[in-house]
Amino acid sequence: MTYALTLEQTRAPEPRTQAGLTQAVRAEWRKLVSLRSTVWALLITLAGTVLVSYLSAHGARHGRQPAGFYRGFDPTNTALAGLALGSLVIGIFGVLSMTGEYGSGTIRSSLAAVPRRRVFFAAKVIVLGTCALVVGMVMSFVSFYVGQAVLSGGAPTATLSDPGVLRVLLESGAFLALLALFGVGLGAMIRHSAGAIATFVGCTLLLPLLLHEVPGNVVRFSPESIFANSVADVVPTNGAVSSTEGFILMAGYTVLALAVGGVLLVRRDA
Amino acid sequence: MIRTQGLTKRYGRTLAVDDLTLTVTPGVVTGFLGPNGSGKSTTMRMMVGLDVPDAGSATVNGSPYAELRWPLREVGALLDAKAFHPGRTARNHLRWLAETNDIDVRRVDEVLDLVGLTSVAHRRAGKFSLGMGQRLGVASALLGDPGVLLFDEPVNGLDPEGIRWIRHLLRGLAAEGRTVLVSSHLISEMALTAQRLVVIGRGSLIAETSVEEFTASSQGDTVRVLTPTPQRFVKALSEAGARPSVGEDGAITVHAMRAADIGELAARLSVTVHELTPVRASLEDAFMALTADAVDFRSAPGGVEAHVPVPVPAR
Repeated sequence: MTYALTLEQTRAPEPRTQAGLTQAVRAEWRKLVSLRSTVWALLITLAGTVLVSYLSAHGARHGRQPAGFYRGFDPTNTALAGLALGSLVIGIFGVLSMTGEYGSGTIRSSLAAVPRRRVFFAAKVIVLGTCALVVGMVMSFVSFYVGQAVLSGGAPTATLSDPGVLRVLLESGAFLALLALFGVGLGAMIRHSAGAIATFVGCTLLLPLLLHEVPGNVVRFSPESIFANSVADVVPTNGAVSSTEGFILMAGYTVLALAVGGVLLVRRDA
Repeated sequence: MIRTQGLTKRYGRTLAVDDLTLTVTPGVVTGFLGPNGSGKSTTMRMMVGLDVPDAGSATVNGSPYAELRWPLREVGALLDAKAFHPGRTARNHLRWLAETNDIDVRRVDEVLDLVGLTSVAHRRAGKFSLGMGQRLGVASALLGDPGVLLFDEPVNGLDPEGIRWIRHLLRGLAAEGRTVLVSSHLISEMALTAQRLVVIGRGSLIAETSVEEFTASSQGDTVRVLTPTPQRFVKALSEAGARPSVGEDGAITVHAMRAADIGELAARLSVTVHELTPVRASLEDAFMALTADAVDFRSAPGGVEAHVPVPVPAR
């Protein structure tokens, strides 16, 4: 008895800590910034988005407009035209963050290092979501300011303090982050880059075209319609859902995609 | 220490691993041998939690892998030559891995040096040769300085110098008291590297033994006999309980009878013998004999392997 007690006392104290979310998040962040291709893709997308916004504003300002063109004109929405491009690329960025792991075999290193798969997936979502949120906000605000600068002097402009404008910019930036996370969920489900990207593009670009023919204006519930007609509009387009409804709806799609992707990631062999 | 208990894995209708129970002990290199497709990789994947077994369990130091507090500091695994992103540099790959288990960044440079990749640490891993990729995999496995190491076919793609290097490395790691499990389908390589052997075929355990015992216990020993009258002597040998067969060069290969007894028999029957040579079974023969029933992808009859006289062991 005495002997056993002595052993118990002299045993080195067990480290209380264990590898957890903090470590996994740091690792995911390093993964993200250590790929030159991701960093470049995001910068180029940012430039492309702002360029399209610029062109849209330029067209509205200098084009030969019919009489009454500026009645009901939404300078904010006009300046955010580039976000359509941004939404596509940021979603693919989300998809690739998962399918790139499977395509390259990194997933086996990842899950051997972080075998608690919930923790791994949560870290992925946190890092990707945060990064996409920052990039989305930058896209949204830079597009807005560039657009207003182009419009000023010959067309109606908007300022941040105008009713609804700040709401539009914040929601649009956040919407881009949701699209990225929607992509993460699809990537976890489908695992192959080509298939997952095709599915993402199908959900965002193709779905509105198909749903257009469906009676009952179902098309207003599709992600891209919500973005263009509700969230990025100071005054929602006729027949569209309200911006709050639209945002909640997209958040719902995203949670659903992440839940299904997460469950499959935890259950399936890597 | 690695233990598996009734480990079973099914892919559709194929039984990849079948009720496998084994123990891998520290201090020696354990060779994990089996023909291609015998379930070695699947077993190792289940040991690190990448695949979930349909039945049974695998534990490392008494815990399932997913419950280890700091997985990389307890277990290092090289399961795949390409478990890294081609766009990331070798050093960055190791750095994110280190982050997951709070491993000091100095250790990253240490293992890069250990595997000889320091000079290419800032090159993208996608540009690496198979051998360099293999070295990066070894560096990843050693990153957490773990007491348990799993290597799946580590010599694939390595040049002779690399093969020698990994052989010394594995033996050195075992000599430090670590548990080292190395899979291979190359028996000759295992003969040089491993002290203990776990042999599997079609997913189930065939032998768990030392390298010496494995060769000694095999019934692969044969005797080569040359005589001008093979027909007559073959008949006599068969009647005496041996299993003779005549090869294309006219030589008789005799199984199940010692050279001395064959000599006695020849003397008694006044058979002229020109040559009487005991042929010791190699580890390779022993392996072939043991796994003869358990090869999934056998060469067609008439293929090179079919010419090797394979005695079927009485089990």
